[in-house]
Amino acid sequence: MAETSTSEGRKKSLSTYQIAQIIIGVLFITYLTWRLYTVLIVEGVYGPDTWLRFAITGLVIGGVYAVIAIGYTLVYGILFMINFAHGEIMMLGAFAGYFVFEALNVVIIDPINKVTFSNAYPVLAIILAFLTGMIVSSVTAVTLERIAYRPLRTAPRLVPLISAVGASIFLQNLAQLMFSPQQRTYINPQALERGAGWTVIVNGNNVVIPYTGAFTFIVSIILMVGLYLLVKRTRMGRAMRAVAENKQTAALMGIDVDGVISQTFAISGILAGAAGVLWGIHNGVVNHYVGFIPGIKAFTAAVLGGIGNIPGAMVGGLFLGIIESVGPAILGIDFQLKDVIAFSILILVLIFRPSGILGEVLSEEKV
Amino acid sequence: MPNYIRNGLRSGFVFGIVIIFLILIGFTRVANELLAPLVKGTSQLPMGFILFMALLGLWAGASAAKRSPVLMGMPDTYQKWNAIISGLIAGIIGGAFVGLFIFVLGSIQTKGMDMRVYLAQLSPDAIKMLTLGRVAWAGAFSIWLIFVITGIAGGLLALFSDSFKLGERMSSSWKNMSAGIGDSAIAKTVNQNAVVRYILYGIFIIILLILPSFLGKYWNYTLGTIGIYIIMGLGINIIIGMAGLLNLGYVAFFAVGAYTVGLLTAPAPQGLHWNFWIGLLVAMVMAAFVGWLLGIPVLRLRGDYLAIVTLGFGEMIRVLVRSKALSSIFGGPQGVRDIAGPMIFGQRFTEREYLYLIVAVIIFTVFITIRLQNSHLGRAWGAMREDQTVAQAMGINIFRYKLLAFALGAAIGGLAGVMFASRNQYTGPEDHTLMVSVNVLALVIVGGMGSIPGIILGSFVLKGLPELLRQIEDYRLLVFGGLLVVMMIVKPEGLWPSKRRQLEMSDVDLPPETDALQVLEEQSSDQKLRGES
Repeated sequence: MAETSTSEGRKKSLSTYQIAQIIIGVLFITYLTWRLYTVLIVEGVYGPDTWLRFAITGLVIGGVYAVIAIGYTLVYGILFMINFAHGEIMMLGAFAGYFVFEALNVVIIDPINKVTFSNAYPVLAIILAFLTGMIVSSVTAVTLERIAYRPLRTAPRLVPLISAVGASIFLQNLAQLMFSPQQRTYINPQALERGAGWTVIVNGNNVVIPYTGAFTFIVSIILMVGLYLLVKRTRMGRAMRAVAENKQTAALMGIDVDGVISQTFAISGILAGAAGVLWGIHNGVVNHYVGFIPGIKAFTAAVLGGIGNIPGAMVGGLFLGIIESVGPAILGIDFQLKDVIAFSILILVLIFRPSGILGEVLSEEKV
Repeated sequence: MPNYIRNGLRSGFVFGIVIIFLILIGFTRVANELLAPLVKGTSQLPMGFILFMALLGLWAGASAAKRSPVLMGMPDTYQKWNAIISGLIAGIIGGAFVGLFIFVLGSIQTKGMDMRVYLAQLSPDAIKMLTLGRVAWAGAFSIWLIFVITGIAGGLLALFSDSFKLGERMSSSWKNMSAGIGDSAIAKTVNQNAVVRYILYGIFIIILLILPSFLGKYWNYTLGTIGIYIIMGLGINIIIGMAGLLNLGYVAFFAVGAYTVGLLTAPAPQGLHWNFWIGLLVAMVMAAFVGWLLGIPVLRLRGDYLAIVTLGFGEMIRVLVRSKALSSIFGGPQGVRDIAGPMIFGQRFTEREYLYLIVAVIIFTVFITIRLQNSHLGRAWGAMREDQTVAQAMGINIFRYKLLAFALGAAIGGLAGVMFASRNQYTGPEDHTLMVSVNVLALVIVGGMGSIPGIILGSFVLKGLPELLRQIEDYRLLVFGGLLVVMMIVKPEGLWPSKRRQLEMSDVDLPPETDALQVLEEQSSDQKLRGES
């Protein structure tokens, strides 16, 4: 609203903002074309096999981002607040999964061949790990909401955000004190060993599609579809959408608003826990800091897709994952700078399309 | 289920869980060390730990009994002994949780497993302390017994404190405390009477001028750090407190200041060897420029989006200066060494002289802040913060004023960065983590947004207090995080709020960038919701 009124107010000349928009747009497109030209045509460093590898990495990581991003978007859609501690909730889920695998690895089923439980019944072990991770994360999320967010429901917006930042610091340090800052390695069942995978020959080179990667991607898709159905088809989902639309009217219709908010936090926690275990299975490393960067990235993804919008979070997550893995190669810059690319994309999207990629859908629904 | 039993169960459950967490984070060990001098015993028992458990049990019992109906003015239906039952139940339940946990730990320990692999704090010594150096079940049972006894004692304590009206006195004094310094008579005079305020500032400055000479190098350094945070707090106050723009990446401006002065004056990687004072000016201009540049694309965004973009920007700057690819420009992960400082008689400033310099800068920024608050700029920002649409209708060019706030705040952040870098003679990527932004934001909020004394108080509380509490240093950030949450729930307007902010916080605040109709709707629905609950 504010935007249109300013531009209407100064019809004679372009506003500073529009000039900046144009300059940034032109600069960006020029840079991108130049880099694409140099990298793809002049230098041609990477063959199709390498691009395929990048794309696989991107899809896998993007799937995880998407699952975390849905948690942000669900909470934002209902409470209009950034659950800053969401990444830490994911981290606790990852730790829970780690401990389950570790415990199941101690239990030996067949003493002669030294077959451990998690190798004898890999499916059961994985399901147990996911269940534990989901329960831990969702209990944390619900508790967090009860303690740190519920008393602040009517407070100005900055207040719950600060509270969330505090909760994030608290959880991170709790994990550091409890589990020590040292890195831990997930012990996957042999069926899901890291590094192993199907080999595809592209352009005369081997491209490995890792089992863990495929697993992660499939599970994240299942979670997304499940969540979508939950929100669209079930009674609970309908209640959630009603509360997101208008808390007061929902309350008048007999919906227990506090209960629905708790449920939302539980679901976002479940997703975060699953994402944490996925992260552990695929990347193999867990420490107290593991939730921070994915948390910020997933929020970025949620904003990219249009916050408050569930399909948007999914698209944004996958988009961000691919951009992050392909971007540095396309631009021919250092891979350390992938975070810079992610945030630059965020800024660019917000300049040209502040509602996010799928943001319009939301505004239509809301009107 | 009768109320008093439920209270006992709930209190026991909460305390049990919390104590298990305290054991897991190793706080029981620290408590043992801290409390040991109080109970000098020759026995082999960890008396400090026992005392700590007893105190917690007492607290659990008291908190269960305190809520029982007999103490809430309904003596007809309930008996006084109900309070004791509450305490007893709290003790039994809480003790059962803790005892069971200790029993499990002890049993695993006797099997010869080292739990430190999984849970860092559970060293054999720590578990020996938990089980009081006995067999697992005996230790666990003793702890349980302690809880039961102290739970009853807590219940009795609650009863007694009730008969002596201790509870009321304590709660009223607590209320006074939580009402804060901002409400006290002194603060009121300070807020209202300009002469008193300036005299106080004068005294404060004089103390600051005399104090450094008596302090050692360490304290001068620490006070200097606190001072730098005060400068940053004052800078971010312009952005958040005055203009109402949520910035989570303030460290970016700090980094720009630090790196500009570093690159201009240090021998490597650029080798420019500029004079410090010129470097300082350039750094401030540079920071303001970066703030302005960042502001152009992002200041159209809604509050939360702005927060996340600025957060991303802060991380981006850190990644950029750390990256190896750009190390020829920024020095890479090693950072920039041998940054020049101001000279006096051909000598570098010592810690003490730096402290004077920092105090001078603080006075300068406080002066600017006060002048800004009362200028047309400050009023425009205030109007914008309260209601953007109305401000716009009044003819305020919102975009330009926002940019100005960003640039000014950034310049002060850059100034703080210069102080920091030149005092340390070094700056590197790890000086500019997200925690700096969070710390600055937190100190402004804890102190009281928009209030200069509040910001100074906040800096001392958040940066100075941890220096005094070295023993619990490991728990500093944990406590800090918890404190932020508690603060937001108990006293969101800060320890020493400005008058205006206090009024704002007591009413329904509105997010920026909502249009008038929506605002009205939200306001009415909010009020109704509040009336309902």
